[in-house]
Amino acid sequence: MAESTGENKVWESIPVGDDLGSLDYVLTEQMVADYRRVVDNPCAAYPTVAARHPANLFYRKYAAVMRVPNMGHDCEYYNPPVVGKRITIRGRIADKYIRRGNPYIIVEAVAVDEDGRLLEKSRLVGHAREVGKEAAHETIAKKWGA
Amino acid sequence: MAVVLKTGDQLQPVTHEVTNEKMIEFEKCVWDRGRNSHSDINAAKADGIHRTIASGQNQMAFLHELMELNFGDAWVYGGKISVRYIHPVYAGDHLTATGLVTSIGEFDGKPRVELQLWCENQDGRKTSAGTASAAQPSSMRSWVKKNSEGAEK
Repeated sequence: MAESTGENKVWESIPVGDDLGSLDYVLTEQMVADYRRVVDNPCAAYPTVAARHPANLFYRKYAAVMRVPNMGHDCEYYNPPVVGKRITIRGRIADKYIRRGNPYIIVEAVAVDEDGRLLEKSRLVGHAREVGKEAAHETIAKKWGA
Repeated sequence: MAVVLKTGDQLQPVTHEVTNEKMIEFEKCVWDRGRNSHSDINAAKADGIHRTIASGQNQMAFLHELMELNFGDAWVYGGKISVRYIHPVYAGDHLTATGLVTSIGEFDGKPRVELQLWCENQDGRKTSAGTASAAQPSSMRSWVKKNSEGAEK
């Protein structure tokens, strides 16, 4: 549920339900191998973890005005991606809210492969930071001295 | 034969060292995100922090491994997870991903294992925490390291 504060004009201007469009890419053997090597898990099923589907769709539209540092994820997994298949992701703004005075945006992405297999649904919990107003990780720095 | 989990069971944990090199490489996996606060000190300072921090998705990768190890196909086909990143992770940290079975529910007429899971660093500080669920552990197929010879590409 969105609340209006008048202090977050860009955040307020982004509507819940906003269509972030779609994009697609082919998952290559190299992508899978790189991911498995970097996370030290030679059998990792979902290299898409590193693909950041929601964030990529969000930034394609809003990078100039808003940052959404990742505070969490809610994900559902249905079928692991297959090397060589084209993956199409579609996104939308699923929700936004103010919590403890901080604005959040929930960005949802659904990934389907070229055969119509549903791969995953992922929701990014983003701490909405207006570009140029405050450093993206200012809150983290204050809270933990990072 | 896969184990049958019950309330109170602890998952077999996984531990990894987070290195600066792998933090940088992680930002280039699948899609290169360019320099950012996870891979470049100057980008981190511009974002208001004095050193680079590992991305939340890096922790998510370890939680995936935890679930693959303990649930096999039951996680890969139908798993759900909800995680919040609650403390920064730095290069040199040793993260352990682990979990605890909180209840055995039912979904579509089949048992569903509900969990609390988290990552903690070498000091025992939780860096991420949340919940997950999956059907009871099933075939491990290729999702476990010891069977990596059979891993799907």
